[in-house]
Amino acid sequence: MTTFTPSPTQTLARFRQLVQQWKDESRYLSNTAQMAMLRSYQSIIGMGPQAVPLILDELRREPDHWFWALEAITLENPVPPQDAGQLDKMAQAWIDWGFNARVIS
Amino acid sequence: MAPSPRFPNLSPTNHSETSPATPQYNCVAWAAEDTARWWQPGSYWLPADWPGNDFGLAALERAFRELGYEDAGGDDSLQPGIQKVALYGSGFVYTHAARQLPTGKWTSKLGKSVDIEHDYPSVVAGGLYGDVVQIMRRHVA
Repeated sequence: MTTFTPSPTQTLARFRQLVQQWKDESRYLSNTAQMAMLRSYQSIIGMGPQAVPLILDELRREPDHWFWALEAITLENPVPPQDAGQLDKMAQAWIDWGFNARVIS
Repeated sequence: MAPSPRFPNLSPTNHSETSPATPQYNCVAWAAEDTARWWQPGSYWLPADWPGNDFGLAALERAFRELGYEDAGGDDSLQPGIQKVALYGSGFVYTHAARQLPTGKWTSKLGKSVDIEHDYPSVVAGGLYGDVVQIMRRHVA
């Protein structure tokens, strides 16, 4: 049996391609469930823990609705209830979580 | 925007863009006159205890009932002292909400993209957003 283990370069390239695809496909969607069910988004969730630092870096670069994926992979939700729905604050809560969990530096 | 499979009823003469694109708020928030939040069950929604995994048509109707709207029996005409919203769905899930302006035209936030002003609710139906499934109304001062 052979296993496929992508290199970090391959992982980053695939992530970026999926991000671009998802942004295009989700541009006009408002229902987050529809956005999260897109194949590109599901593929990013399927990348598992190795996608988390990439998603957090993407959140730092351009806040977007990556929270569903982050929750699905990490089983965490660091967003304070009073900040729910506020994109920049939600992104910052996850970035802070990433620093504290030493997922990003 | 030109007609596309996503928006087959859009034409250059039946709508105009009224804001830059932003992912900070969505169509539901815009219809509810909130530009500070992205409304979604499980994050920010009305009522606050709405199930976080229920993204069905009932979620959208319930949110606007919480804001004082009631069913308008499909009447999307302009009426003095009445504010209306149009709710859209595809299959069992909600897809979009639009709000009637005092001029009689309608305003929509297109996902993470721009706000537009459009002539009728049907202008943004028929593609990505499916059908207009309900018109709701409330009295305004």
